[in-house]
Amino acid sequence: MEADVTVIGSGPAGLVAALQADRSGARNVLLLEREEELGGILKQCIHNGFGLEQFKKDYTGPEYAERLIEEIENTNVRYLLNTMVIALSPDRTITAVNPEQGEFQIKSKSVVLAMGCRERSRGSINIPGTRPAGIYTAGVAQRFVNIDGYLPGKEIVILGSGDIGLIMARRLALEGAQVKGVYEIMNYPGGLKRNIVQCLNDFNIPLYLSHTVTEIRGKERVEGVVISRVDEKMQPIGGSEQFVACDTLLLSVGLIPENELSKQAGIELSPITKGPITTETMETGVPGIFSCGNVSTVFDLVDYVAQTGMTAGRNAARFASAAWKKEKNSVEVIPGENVRVLFPQRYSFEDDLIFFIRCARPIEGPVRIDISPLEIHFKKLYARPNEMIRVKVPQDKLRDITGSIEVDITER
Amino acid sequence: MAVEKKHFTCVICPIGCEIDVELQGSDVVSMKGEKCAKGREFVLQELEEPMRILTTTIRIKGAKWAMLPVRTDEPIPKRSLFRVIEELANIELQAPVKMSDVIIRDIAGTGANIVATRNMKRDKKDKFA
Repeated sequence: MEADVTVIGSGPAGLVAALQADRSGARNVLLLEREEELGGILKQCIHNGFGLEQFKKDYTGPEYAERLIEEIENTNVRYLLNTMVIALSPDRTITAVNPEQGEFQIKSKSVVLAMGCRERSRGSINIPGTRPAGIYTAGVAQRFVNIDGYLPGKEIVILGSGDIGLIMARRLALEGAQVKGVYEIMNYPGGLKRNIVQCLNDFNIPLYLSHTVTEIRGKERVEGVVISRVDEKMQPIGGSEQFVACDTLLLSVGLIPENELSKQAGIELSPITKGPITTETMETGVPGIFSCGNVSTVFDLVDYVAQTGMTAGRNAARFASAAWKKEKNSVEVIPGENVRVLFPQRYSFEDDLIFFIRCARPIEGPVRIDISPLEIHFKKLYARPNEMIRVKVPQDKLRDITGSIEVDITER
Repeated sequence: MAVEKKHFTCVICPIGCEIDVELQGSDVVSMKGEKCAKGREFVLQELEEPMRILTTTIRIKGAKWAMLPVRTDEPIPKRSLFRVIEELANIELQAPVKMSDVIIRDIAGTGANIVATRNMKRDKKDKFA
């Protein structure tokens, strides 16, 4: 099988990338999805708040997905469902498998990685205790409730205050479960402020900052968890333990980009974002392979995911059409003062530079974001680690850069 | 009459202004912390009648999945959320359903309609159909 542009994954990033590749003139766009329908995780995110920027509408996840799928159906984009990519080589040969064709290969002029991310689980945070039933990641519980129609438990404790955990606190409360509390190891919440208000406060669900689960109890089924306060180094404080009875523990403790295929293709990953190192065109270190959305870095908003998808799709189409300068000069983009995450990691002088920035510690007051050595800065009212900051530097301002570009966030 | 103090976090935009209000009965004596007029509007609405969009699911037969996602097509009073949920618990739909189909008009007397938020085709694979 041959393709001009092949997109791996049909969540928001992949759908937008495929659409944009088609609109940018790629003739033979192929979209691969391992599940039985398009849309990815949007299908189980039944809450609203999607697409406020992109469509100026307050869609639910499924509505947002349906809108993009409808657009896909009106293009020449071909898609294969139940199709799992099992290998990717640096020369852009894809090995995939599905029930109709068995194992087969696709030779593609360019490839867009849009595999998204997966949830961190109990194993990645090492909670001591027994191994009973009743421990789920928040996203798995979300699927049980919203698609399969099962309530994972009646008395729920949620560890971690990421957005999915907050959304699930409300969802479970609405479905009649008792949500005993959300426990967050950091001294600030992980999720967006609007979710704290609408998901916890509205339902009188308490949020405990600087607390964590230090033991899980129960033999067949979870019977409860031991909660401890933590100090400023996030170490549990002896003597602060208290037992909270529950039958279910939900984990909302972070997401990790899913990059097994990227590693196979020899793509260099960033230790900070855990995703491919890319330029502003979303091209990875391997020519002709682009990446976008949560496989690149974990975003807070679907609008940001869609924006990277659009860039990746457009440039993948250009690469496939040979309207692409293969040997490109690029400079490094470096996170400076109070910057924990910075995306993209390189600049190749092809386009405007849109930064996605996550600060290291919260500043609840006016801040400035400096782009050096350019004498450009941006003013913001605050900087919070749970809200990515996005700023755009126009291409013509960047023309004379020779060394690296640094981004700093300071109080002003 | 004693002055009553209330605190709100505005959710209109991501800034999330922390707004303090002093009330005498139902009269607003003072409001502090809102950075724009929308924050003030938000607080006045919260004082009068907090309104929320409800998103939830309804059981469906003859489809690939067990649950159909739905929403109210406009915000409904927060105090009626659980009444709506209870009413929906007794309903079972039959596939196919199209996105934006009105499933129930004027749910629980709120004036809002319950609408489907995705297409769900008829699927013969459902062994319960």
